[in-house]
Amino acid sequence: MTTSAFYGKFERHSHGEGLKGHSTHYCPGCGHGLAHKYLGEAIDELGIQDKTVAVSPVGCSVFLYYYFDVGNTQAAHGRAPAVAIGHKLANPESIVISYQGDGDLASIGLAEIVSTAQMGIPITVIFVNNAIYGMTGGQMAPTTLMGQRTATSPDGRVEFMGQPMKMAELIAGLDGPVYVERVALFNPKQRNRAKKAIHKALQNQVEKRGFSFVEVLAECPTHLKATPEQAEKWVEEAMLPMFPLGVKKDETREPWWDRPAPTFETERVLKEIGAGEEKAPRYCTSFPSHVAKNDISLKLAGSGGDGAQTAAMLIVHAGINEGFDATHIPAYGPESRGGTSYADVHVAADEVLSPASPSPDVLIAFNMPSLVKFGPDVRPGGTIIYDSSVITDYTPVKSGVKMVGVPMSEIAKDLGKLMVKNIVALGALQAATGIFPKETFLTAVRRALKDKCAMIPLNEQAFEWGVKAASEVTVP
Amino acid sequence: MPALKERPKPFVLPEFCKGCGRCISACPKHCISMGTEINPKTGLTPIVLDLTNCNGCGLCIDACPEPYGLQQTPADADYELQDPAKLFGDRMTDAPEPVDIPDQVVPLPKMEPLVLKGNYAAAVGALLAGCRHFFGYPITPSTEGAELMAKLMPHLDGTFLQAVSEVATVNMMYGCGGAGMRSMTFTSSPGFSLMLEGISYMIGAEVPGVFINVMRGGPGLGNIAPEQSDIKLCCRGLGHGNTHAIVLTPSTPQEMLDLTMLAFELTFKYRNPVVIASDGYLGQMTGKVSLPESLVKPGIPKWAVYGDLEHRRNLISSIYLSEVDLEKWNVVLNAKYASMQVEQRADLYMCDDAEVLLVACNTPARTAKGAVQVLRSRGIKAGLFRPVTVWPFPIEKLKTVLPNAKRIVVVEASNGQLEDEVKIALANARIREYPEIEHVRHFGGVLPQMEEVILKVAAGQEVTV
Repeated sequence: MTTSAFYGKFERHSHGEGLKGHSTHYCPGCGHGLAHKYLGEAIDELGIQDKTVAVSPVGCSVFLYYYFDVGNTQAAHGRAPAVAIGHKLANPESIVISYQGDGDLASIGLAEIVSTAQMGIPITVIFVNNAIYGMTGGQMAPTTLMGQRTATSPDGRVEFMGQPMKMAELIAGLDGPVYVERVALFNPKQRNRAKKAIHKALQNQVEKRGFSFVEVLAECPTHLKATPEQAEKWVEEAMLPMFPLGVKKDETREPWWDRPAPTFETERVLKEIGAGEEKAPRYCTSFPSHVAKNDISLKLAGSGGDGAQTAAMLIVHAGINEGFDATHIPAYGPESRGGTSYADVHVAADEVLSPASPSPDVLIAFNMPSLVKFGPDVRPGGTIIYDSSVITDYTPVKSGVKMVGVPMSEIAKDLGKLMVKNIVALGALQAATGIFPKETFLTAVRRALKDKCAMIPLNEQAFEWGVKAASEVTVP
Repeated sequence: MPALKERPKPFVLPEFCKGCGRCISACPKHCISMGTEINPKTGLTPIVLDLTNCNGCGLCIDACPEPYGLQQTPADADYELQDPAKLFGDRMTDAPEPVDIPDQVVPLPKMEPLVLKGNYAAAVGALLAGCRHFFGYPITPSTEGAELMAKLMPHLDGTFLQAVSEVATVNMMYGCGGAGMRSMTFTSSPGFSLMLEGISYMIGAEVPGVFINVMRGGPGLGNIAPEQSDIKLCCRGLGHGNTHAIVLTPSTPQEMLDLTMLAFELTFKYRNPVVIASDGYLGQMTGKVSLPESLVKPGIPKWAVYGDLEHRRNLISSIYLSEVDLEKWNVVLNAKYASMQVEQRADLYMCDDAEVLLVACNTPARTAKGAVQVLRSRGIKAGLFRPVTVWPFPIEKLKTVLPNAKRIVVVEASNGQLEDEVKIALANARIREYPEIEHVRHFGGVLPQMEEVILKVAAGQEVTV
């Protein structure tokens, strides 16, 4: 009797009406039916029917799901390996088969098959190569032989159309796969080998050893315009020289595929996302409306590495710790390092409405270009805090704007770490504007460094020096 | 000496033989020949078996491409050769009927708010919604979301996988979502374009998945600055065919978290992808984010192709070969799209008596909200109508505030893509009486500024590039 991996009745084949309930949609003599049968037998022999997911491709075998009594998914053209990976990761214990033809796998789906093979995740790929596009009606396939006439190579395939793709060799050349073999179906001996190869490719997955790939040279009598017998002969005589049979890769790999079940444990999830129940202490008695009524806008500007973004984030944390709303938006030049780096920050009593800072209440400028660029935008009555170690030659940008020069770089250098100049800047901000009490900033700094406690004293010092320097500065 | 057990010999029902003849050369005993009579049921000429010399080697069976073609003759003599239903089976499968394994909602303790970037907030929302499968391809300005997932997923025994492309990404989601798991990606406009084929397949095959599109300037490579460049694509162009999906438009980091959680609920409720259309500005924006009251521990839905006995019956496919079947399927999808109309969501700010109705979503909505405050302080009755779903467009809520409106001003960082949605929604609702729609538009990564909105409303100055 037939194998149980096939449906008792092919109800999806034209609703199982008439003979279609027990026959395939393939043309007489098509190699797909044989590949299906061997796959079905292997599923039975390995006892994996209940955990198998078969991914149907686009091409003649698009209706694989008519036949196999396993979980079935039909994929977009060429994407079956990616779909298979999705299934395998969704349920690592499932056995996933990607069954594909030559157009699907070797043309439109090259990126998917190559990357999936290299990933090496244990799935099984059955690649049926019959050197032609069957379903669309006999067009040239990536595996069409040189000189072979097809609907889209009517005078025969020539060099300009590219050479046939040898997928088994290509896949075997990758480090990911554990087993790659090319087999054929044209005589009993080859069919026996094909059976064994398909069995082995599945067994490797069952044993969690890795990615396996079986290329099956198959007959398409219809588009070869040949009898099934002639087609078998054509595969043997014409295809074999281009696509030599045999094992292309067979690596001994110990079982390695082992994925833990995902955790949803509340404590672990909260810990990972950094959530805590501990409230930050508050030091503000009311919103600092002396800086701006109910929404303070700041801009911090420098070059990459100045620490403008970190300082901006600390202001946001400080504001939110105090129960206000706060936002930060970074802007970088296209360079990863050394380019411009600006941050727009808002602290609002209730809700930040417009988070950009086109005319800030406070500007912190770490270098001359930043001061030149943004200084004129600071609103009248606002404050500019700048690094007087690097900005020495300035003219006040606007009347009515308070200029506070603090030698941030020099102080930081004296403390032994130039990178704390942004913390010096925060100290200066505190002293120059009184936006928050000192402890608000220091709390934000300490919490930010809770995993690098050794850095806390240095940062505290930098902050204090910033406060001191800004308090002493003479406003021009 | 025990008698040699005789191996079963082959037989074939003539109507299940396509007459390919591959068995003929396979037989070493020459038992098989091509028939001469056309089978009236199939129009094909089946082979003829003469089993006189047959030793039951089975090579002919191995050569037959049909699962119900050449078979071993059953051992019992009573089989009814002529009835395939009795011989092969009259039902598809004996696999059990699938059942739902329901989700669990687990309450969370009261936590302090987090300070998170929009992209991070969405990732955290996904984790709390029970997503443990992330597939993606890096693209600015969405990468932080993927990076946080890459860091956290392994700690929660979840999966982060960087795919070879956005095309592979969406197809991994198709497989994983088809298996009933909660999967997601972060992408940005050019990457979203590449995912559209897969999204159409997901809609057609009813596969859930959450797409966070942190929209950037286009067309082409454009730039990495914020633009609401894909509203049209999300609402009107989700790949080929008759497609729609719920499109959520957050405007704060808090909403990035809340709407991502909602997206997972909706994507499974409707078995349809959900898109979160964010913008580059919001993705990068850090703000205060409060955590929800509960997290979700997902189950396995009954329709999933999970790869176990309980789900063996299932199929994920968007193929309906007959025209009649496909039309019927589209009718089903249309009914589903109609049922999604109840998901219309909008946030109304000072709209009750608003004579000037600003319409905006995403980051431009924050700008517009600021403008409303300033305008109100100047005695102008302005209000903000902020769609939280742009598909389905919240027309029912818009209807409630339309009667007072003397002006409608759409504020957007695109070439009128939101405005088109407003107009389509009004037309579909057969509303013909409304003020001429005015607008403040920027694109290419430039955002509308509050001052421009104020100028437009207060002085009627045209603001368009």
